[in-house]
Amino acid sequence: LKKPTTITYAVDDRPPLVVTVLSGLQHVGIIAIVLVFPLLLGREAGLPADQTSDILGTTMLVLGIGAVLQSLPRGGIGAGYLCPPVCTAAYLGPSLLAAKTGGISLAFGMTAFGGLVESALSRLLRPLRPYLPPEVSGLVVVLIGVSLGSLAFRNLLGIGLPQAEQLPHFSVAAVTLGTMVGLSVWSHGGLRLFCALIGMAAGYAVAAVSGVLTTADLQTVQSAPLVSAPGIAVHGWSWDASLAIAFGVAALSNCVRAIGDVTICQKINNADWVRPDMRSISGGALASGLTNILGGVLGGHGVSTYTSSVGLAAATGVTSRQVGYAIGGIFVVLAFMPKASAVFLIMPAPVIGAATLFTSAIIFLNGLQIITSRLLDARRTLTIGLGLIAGVTVEVILAIADGSSTWLRPVIGSSLVFGTLVALAFNLLFRVGVRQHVEMSLRADAHDPAKVEEFLRRNGALWGARPDIVNRVVFGAGQLVEAVIEHGNPSGALELQARFDEFDFDLRLSYEGAALELPEQRPSTQEIRDTDAGAMRLAGFLLRRNADRARVEQQGSRVAIWFLFDH
Amino acid sequence: MLKQSMELAIVQEGAVVSIAVKGRLDSVGSDMLKARISQLIESGTTRLVIDFGQVAYISSAGFRVLLVAARQTEHTNGALALSGVGGEVRRLFDLAALTEMFTILPDRAQAVAALANRDR
Repeated sequence: LKKPTTITYAVDDRPPLVVTVLSGLQHVGIIAIVLVFPLLLGREAGLPADQTSDILGTTMLVLGIGAVLQSLPRGGIGAGYLCPPVCTAAYLGPSLLAAKTGGISLAFGMTAFGGLVESALSRLLRPLRPYLPPEVSGLVVVLIGVSLGSLAFRNLLGIGLPQAEQLPHFSVAAVTLGTMVGLSVWSHGGLRLFCALIGMAAGYAVAAVSGVLTTADLQTVQSAPLVSAPGIAVHGWSWDASLAIAFGVAALSNCVRAIGDVTICQKINNADWVRPDMRSISGGALASGLTNILGGVLGGHGVSTYTSSVGLAAATGVTSRQVGYAIGGIFVVLAFMPKASAVFLIMPAPVIGAATLFTSAIIFLNGLQIITSRLLDARRTLTIGLGLIAGVTVEVILAIADGSSTWLRPVIGSSLVFGTLVALAFNLLFRVGVRQHVEMSLRADAHDPAKVEEFLRRNGALWGARPDIVNRVVFGAGQLVEAVIEHGNPSGALELQARFDEFDFDLRLSYEGAALELPEQRPSTQEIRDTDAGAMRLAGFLLRRNADRARVEQQGSRVAIWFLFDH
Repeated sequence: MLKQSMELAIVQEGAVVSIAVKGRLDSVGSDMLKARISQLIESGTTRLVIDFGQVAYISSAGFRVLLVAARQTEHTNGALALSGVGGEVRRLFDLAALTEMFTILPDRAQAVAALANRDR
């Protein structure tokens, strides 16, 4: 990997111990904000404080193990990058549903099931790409934001509170949210980086002054032991087939997120980055799945990779995997310190509401950005529009699932599940007739490269192909035809075919003549300069590197060279 | 046989000669460029700038000519610098893993100045 100039300590570097630990603490700080999710799960499930504390402790333990798994450089498990996990809203909604219908043991059993689905999907990410297009991934993120936001408002507004408690409740919520928003919009540096943590601290302070945080709450922290093992796997596990779809969608959402986050990790660590490395992405999704299996078995909240952490690593220039190990170590230590869990345990409802609302707004916008990064043709517009309307309808008409049959309830009872399934179904339907195909004949004795370029660019534009991919296809075709004419001794016409279906741009050249070699390694500069074989091998090396996949087939004297470009 | 689609503009600036390439640096264009560089070096040019500001495509044949030119100028105790290597052409240099092999400056004026000041 070629280290970019913006990175001080890249993934394979070993920073000084102080840098490693301080960077680790910074990541723990931003990950800790979302520890409100296990807290919400415990509270909504009606668990007593000590059992909610166990969930928090176990979740920290799982976060620690997950951070180490993601950092592993080899073995097929883990992205191999600094890509620590965080509690995910994708699992929160289904877990709350499970906790309400079958108790907390069902939430844990189904989280382990979600982890299994994720692990299985991680092996199938490449063939699944057409069925999980970026715009549907964006819709999943938007729906997570919508469902989280509506939950946040419930906590923020304090629905059902007695009149006397409403003013202090709103004061705490306003100060918490105001601090977060104010620091995020008008400050910079450390204040902006830790705006959510600072906002939560401000909320705690106002809650203590206004009486929202009671003496009993403070005593909970005081009486919590400094060192003690969290209660692991104390609730057991159970299973309910009717929730399989809800947790399956959460697993799908996690895989989509892993694809995005690990791709960013690859890009920020390699100045020569050309395209996503699917091995590392699959390893990242597998690590996320295994972490969730472990979380479900031990009794923790579901997790996913964390875009903000990846962003923090890029912003600070410290992307070493040693920091991943440090984050793992810090979380494992915190898991055995109930006093630390207790600080989160007593978090006032308006602080939770404000923190969740703040997070949901950012998640929502991230999703919108993913959707709008695509050219939205009629197919995509309808897929996203119908999915979004389906999801929002569930949030608006909360009782929509009440009259439906039992098996349908988990599907239309969750905005995330219903909206995602509607979008996936329409995406599948609209794939009918999307594959396009054109071909042209070329003459080796009078080849005009400009005509080939114009032909590919014109059709690429008609198909709505991304300009960067079209550039790669144009170079691939130009270099391929040139190399075949120079080194392949072709006789008769060269047949060039281009195919496109939104996810793949294929290029195929067939001719009578000698096959080209497509080496993995570049020939030496001396070979390139001094021998025709070296020049030919450089052409093959460029062609292989330019495409996402390449293949040479030969039947008798007929050669076919095929390139695939992921779109 | 490929149709030729490249033009060269040669400017002498003190001890430095700059060649502005326009169009596609494919096998036909590369033969033309190679011939002009050899002529210049045989006539005593040692400091050479090749400007890629108007190049849309470079193939393996183009890279080969650049590597040969770098060695030729090295043998005459001269130097070769490239300029205007951006966008798609920069991607192709990176793809070929040859970016580090050349002195690359942002534009022709800077490249000419760098070579003119060499060994002063």
